[in-house]
Amino acid sequence: MPVDFSTLAVGYNLSRQSFTLDTDTVERCVDAVQDRSGLYDATAGLPIAPPMCVAALALRGVLDALGIPEGAVHAGQEQDFLAAVPVGATLECSATVAQNSTRGAWRFVAVNMEVHDTGHRKVMTAKCTIMTPA
Amino acid sequence: MNPGTVLPTVEKHITQEQIGKYAEASGDFNPIHIDPAFAAKTQFGGTIAHGMMVAANISEMMSAAFGHAWADSGKLKIRFRAPVRPGDTVTAFGEVKSVRETDAGNEITCTVGIRRQDGENAIVGDASVIN
Repeated sequence: MPVDFSTLAVGYNLSRQSFTLDTDTVERCVDAVQDRSGLYDATAGLPIAPPMCVAALALRGVLDALGIPEGAVHAGQEQDFLAAVPVGATLECSATVAQNSTRGAWRFVAVNMEVHDTGHRKVMTAKCTIMTPA
Repeated sequence: MNPGTVLPTVEKHITQEQIGKYAEASGDFNPIHIDPAFAAKTQFGGTIAHGMMVAANISEMMSAAFGHAWADSGKLKIRFRAPVRPGDTVTAFGEVKSVRETDAGNEITCTVGIRRQDGENAIVGDASVIN
């Protein structure tokens, strides 16, 4: 059920979701963006996930929670990568509403995300701004 | 690296197949990305690539330039300014803007973005890393 964006108050806890960076998921991400940087090395003893893969999967929980309406557009993204995340790690992403405003015919909803590993170490923070018809 | 250093670019050709793969990998099935009939009725006139999929090229460029330091300490602040469509070729670009000593090491800040083949910047922003 999509959320009524007009009712989202700043500070509202939108979601708290866990996800695991299993090898298959990471390799699908790497393949989808054709990442050839070599940062993800499947032959490494403890391969690390590309940071934008972590970001995309964290964002997935937010999109699921919001039920993004058709036609919504991603307007901006801020990412702080605080620690490399190994493939196989289970992470928890909590998301809160940071901003909800209208400008012209558009509504801008910004969501803050914090991602922790199972050792409670913060590995990523992010702010995602989504634009939807007001 | 010093201010003015240009980072090696990353160039990609965007296809609907790649967009579909990204939708599967990310779980973002917004029809603006994957449904040509729906997307044709929007202001974009057709499907567009996920912003995060395109932005991943900036991350790839930063990873190539700074290795694990990018995963350990990277910061990225970007705005999505123009759509990227299937058939477009995009180039991730970056240039060192400043280098600042910190307790953790040198903080290198770069102007970064994604440029389409027609010269328009689809994404603009800054990226920094402790190196």
